[in-house]
Amino acid sequence: MKKLLWLILCLIALPAVAALDGTQILQKVDRNLEPESYETYRKLIDMQPDGSKKEYVLYTLKKGRDKVVALFLSPPSDKGRATLRIGDNLWLYIPDVGRPVRITSLQSVTGSVFNNADILRVDYGAEYNVEAAEEQKDALVLSLKAKTGEIAYDRLKMWVDKKLYLPITIEAYAASGMLIKTLRYKDIKDFGGGIKRPATLETESPLFKGYKSVMLWSALKKGTFPDEVFTLNYLPRVQELRK
Amino acid sequence: MSMPRASWAHWSLLFFLSVTAHAAAAEEYTFDASEFDKKPFELGGYLQFKQENFALNRGGAFYKLGNVNQPQRDSLDRTTGTMELIGKVRPGIGTFDFRTHSDLVRDQVTHDHTNVLYEGVYSIRPDPGVTVEAGKKTLRWGKGYAWNPIGFVERAKDPNDPELSREGLVMASSDFIFNREGPLKTVAFTPVLLPVGKDVNSDFGATGHLNPAAKLYLLYRDTDIDFAWQGKGSRPGRFGMDFSRNLTSNFEMHGEWARISQFARPVTDSAGRVTIGTENATSYLLGLRYLSEKDTTYIAEYYRNGTGYSEQQAQQFYQLVNTAFAQLEQTGSSALLPKALSLTQGAYGRPNAGKDYLYFRAQQKDALGIVYFQAAITAMMNLQDRSYQVTPELFYSGVKNLDLRLRLFMLQGGSSTDFGEKQNSRKLELYARYYF
Repeated sequence: MKKLLWLILCLIALPAVAALDGTQILQKVDRNLEPESYETYRKLIDMQPDGSKKEYVLYTLKKGRDKVVALFLSPPSDKGRATLRIGDNLWLYIPDVGRPVRITSLQSVTGSVFNNADILRVDYGAEYNVEAAEEQKDALVLSLKAKTGEIAYDRLKMWVDKKLYLPITIEAYAASGMLIKTLRYKDIKDFGGGIKRPATLETESPLFKGYKSVMLWSALKKGTFPDEVFTLNYLPRVQELRK
Repeated sequence: MSMPRASWAHWSLLFFLSVTAHAAAAEEYTFDASEFDKKPFELGGYLQFKQENFALNRGGAFYKLGNVNQPQRDSLDRTTGTMELIGKVRPGIGTFDFRTHSDLVRDQVTHDHTNVLYEGVYSIRPDPGVTVEAGKKTLRWGKGYAWNPIGFVERAKDPNDPELSREGLVMASSDFIFNREGPLKTVAFTPVLLPVGKDVNSDFGATGHLNPAAKLYLLYRDTDIDFAWQGKGSRPGRFGMDFSRNLTSNFEMHGEWARISQFARPVTDSAGRVTIGTENATSYLLGLRYLSEKDTTYIAEYYRNGTGYSEQQAQQFYQLVNTAFAQLEQTGSSALLPKALSLTQGAYGRPNAGKDYLYFRAQQKDALGIVYFQAAITAMMNLQDRSYQVTPELFYSGVKNLDLRLRLFMLQGGSSTDFGEKQNSRKLELYARYYF
């Protein structure tokens, strides 16, 4: 009887990380970061070593785990461009070209440190399996492995806030083990509707020394959208969905 | 007690630096989306200044035909100012989209200007999956980068500038989109009605027809597939299909196939005897796009032009032109010249009138380690006569709203070859485009 009581006490005393497996932590991170279906406005700022900046504003819709569409509202040279992602398929629509062309997740439609996989990000859980979960003093650390070879980064190392279950820092690695970039989530903000999450994402890459890119969120809210919005034929009309 | 002058300057400088640093930091991370709310009227566009220098090919058939009874030149400098206005008005339940195109061209021979409405179309969307449109619109069908055999209801693309905006055609069209789960994710159907009359789409084909056309799009097992059709009317009936698929995340493959029924094509011999051959014409294209680890994009396409001319047929035409000008030189007049000119304005004068072409482009992003700087090289070859064109290109978009592009076209080919008989042997082109 004493042994049984001792066992029960030990189980109660175990840290929360043991009660939650890595996959569950990742699911919580995905949902805390964004509702499964949402709309938002984002500003992308690319900073060059000489201090000059280039800014883009995108209107973004996401539905389910793997459908994202993003429309460029600014600058004028990119206005009307739209990108669509359905799972591993990515397309870019340029008004002058008039028809969508397939693009890859490794490219960057803005030419910044953020690539298309960052700009059209789907749930982490849709692309990665959790290989290991570890508890550190202030954070939970997840080691993630891409589910297929089509994913932009082969491995991610994600530091997760233990209280908020939100990502703090993510290191992205190539299959060779080389660090491609580091993403840092900052500025927790209450967007309303029960959404409290970082409003800023910064990234730097050892491949682009001196360059830095920042993504800012505004007007993030839950939404329901018809499936037809996430099709090639709808890309020229996405801007009509804005209020 | 007064503070020494140096101290005032010191504190003023510190205050200024702290205020500007604070302002810069605040600006860097501030974003309010309300300024991007949808507006009832939107207007944008670009202004472009283009300077071209042509090294004219005095011995080329198309130079001779384009400069009959004109002062002969070895070179030409052309300046072109272009303005495109792109706008959107949202009256009532629908949306009116428009694009205007204005050109002002000056060179040693031409002083000209054009004002064209490229697009002006009213759209209503009674349901997210249904769009009904009427007006002047540019449809772009097909997956090819340089050519589109299934571009049935559009003006031909310029393979030297495939991403250039083009004038549309007056039409009524609809778009029906169906989405579903499973291997067939999307089905979209686009029917089109295109009238051709004396004042409407008159350059499309024979007048007095309401031409039906349609496209069916499928996203099936991660492959884009289109089936296209255009009924017989102003032009012979035609049908075709295309596909595009990523074989790996950085390797895309695409293709197009089209068949035109009973296509009538004039064929001349070197004496100017023209026969109209009518037969079914099959065109197709196979292409790929590859992105390397070093961010170099390669595009390659093979194009079989079913309505084009073989090397021998083209040689007969070039001989006709040479004979016509030899006659003109010897006698002061030539009965063959009007025939040659007439054929040039028709099928023989198209940008790519041959049968087999190869297109290759390599473009390097962030070339020389400079962000927003792109270096590219494009080559186009007529595979039958082995003549070709090579175009190195530099492009910079690092200045806000400004694009700069420099290109040098170098054409190479012997007598009686596709690129050897063009109007120019070289062209240097520089443009600055400012978006607003």
